[in-house]
Amino acid sequence: MSRITVVAEKEVRQLVKSRNVMLSALIFVVVFGIFTIPAALGGMGEAGNAMDTLGFYLVLTLGIFMGYLFTAQVFLREKQSGVIETLLCTPLSLRELWSGKVAGVTIPATLLTYFSAVLITGTASIFTGETLLPSVPVLFHIIIVVPAFIAATSGLIGFTQFMLGMRENQILNFGIIFGIIFLITFVRELAGPGFSVTWGVVAATGGLALLIIMVTAWLTRFLSRERIMVTLPE
Amino acid sequence: MEKGEIFGYLGPNGAGKTTTLRVLLGLLSPTSGSATVLDADLAKDDATRSRVGVLMENNGLYDQLTARENLVYYARLYEVGRPADRVTELLEFVGLTGREKDLVGNFSTGMKRKLGIARALLHRPEILFLDEPTSGLDPEAQHMVRELILRLSQAESMTVFLNSHNLDEVQRTCSRVAILHQGRIRALDSVRHLTSAGRKTGFSVTLADPGQAGKAMDILSSMEGIDEVARNENVLGMMLVTVPPHEIVAGLVRNGIRVEEARIQKRSLEEIYLDVMRQAEGGVA
Repeated sequence: MSRITVVAEKEVRQLVKSRNVMLSALIFVVVFGIFTIPAALGGMGEAGNAMDTLGFYLVLTLGIFMGYLFTAQVFLREKQSGVIETLLCTPLSLRELWSGKVAGVTIPATLLTYFSAVLITGTASIFTGETLLPSVPVLFHIIIVVPAFIAATSGLIGFTQFMLGMRENQILNFGIIFGIIFLITFVRELAGPGFSVTWGVVAATGGLALLIIMVTAWLTRFLSRERIMVTLPE
Repeated sequence: MEKGEIFGYLGPNGAGKTTTLRVLLGLLSPTSGSATVLDADLAKDDATRSRVGVLMENNGLYDQLTARENLVYYARLYEVGRPADRVTELLEFVGLTGREKDLVGNFSTGMKRKLGIARALLHRPEILFLDEPTSGLDPEAQHMVRELILRLSQAESMTVFLNSHNLDEVQRTCSRVAILHQGRIRALDSVRHLTSAGRKTGFSVTLADPGQAGKAMDILSSMEGIDEVARNENVLGMMLVTVPPHEIVAGLVRNGIRVEEARIQKRSLEEIYLDVMRQAEGGVA
């Protein structure tokens, strides 16, 4: 078993055991998966198209937020507790450590996001009185592109959390996450009311996720043990 | 450092002990020169890090995981063969059998320290770096940790680098010490040599007749190579710089002083340490 898998497995185990974090995530999913749907559907015109739009941007936004929530636990907690110092003395390379943590964030965040997609579909179906299912491109988007986006954003945030001190992290992570969510909303608004999710839109979103992953993976070469050490809290 | 030796790295808070350790472990870069462990720069050599065990002030444990889960995690990172068996063996070694399914967050400081030691030993390191291993422990736990360190050195020929400001601990466990002050090594020697030969030797003479103490004091004060002569009833204490003890006794007896007992007093590491600190603060290296 590779060290990346070992780290990922430990992170998932630890996240599952962090009741407060999991509870916050579940509340967030339920609130957005159930309570915002009636209002969202009301303002989107034709139900089938509205379902696709919800499946596209709401599931993506929820996924990114789940990743953000878990990233703080997975990357920052070890810096705060000082455990990272011991971890840096193991044979684990920084790239393995970062990759394992990204996988450890992406797996539970994806599962919760899938759950939110089911909730959204169910709530929308109950609200409209008909069975609403996302189109094939949106289904592909939810199953493949959203996890890739979760990995991309958590990888980027995790990288900055390794590189920066605690205070800088608070500011920058807030900026990154809300910047990305704002960008998604902005693009949707820009597309106008006639916006529909096509394979092209899904491919572009997936491409953006891949680009972020590649850029962040390249940036990890600038990570060093010393950089992490000097940004530990006193 | 010699293989199998326990090397004590002594110094007051802020002297640079932990920083030295971090430089050796490749966590910080030296401002000049280089630092190698097992002939490798640990900052760049992932493979050599698997031959080194580390117990920093933080035990490197996760509170949300059980004792066993913590050890299994590190065992897998170090690619230890049959990790479950090795974990069981080490839990027994540090006396935590039966607590393996408990969350580490519920452990006492001493138990966490023991588990931290078990963690550091998982991969059978050739050299073990310990940063203040008994800090915050009760006397019983301190004793247990000291015994563990000695057992590792004696039974497994493990080399141990012990960072500490606990002089008693260092004197009891270490074969060689370095004393650090403001980032510079002020003394480096074996504990035996530091506490006896080569430096001032404590010496005391008990007189059979307390009435002769004044005369004996005069004789001693006139002799070369003796410092800090002091009297406590019929016992005269002094520090010998150059004179061997038997010449002191001979000199007293020649002058009619009746000596009941003569004793060489080894200086404690604490006295040596305080001496070095005083000299360093006075600008004498």
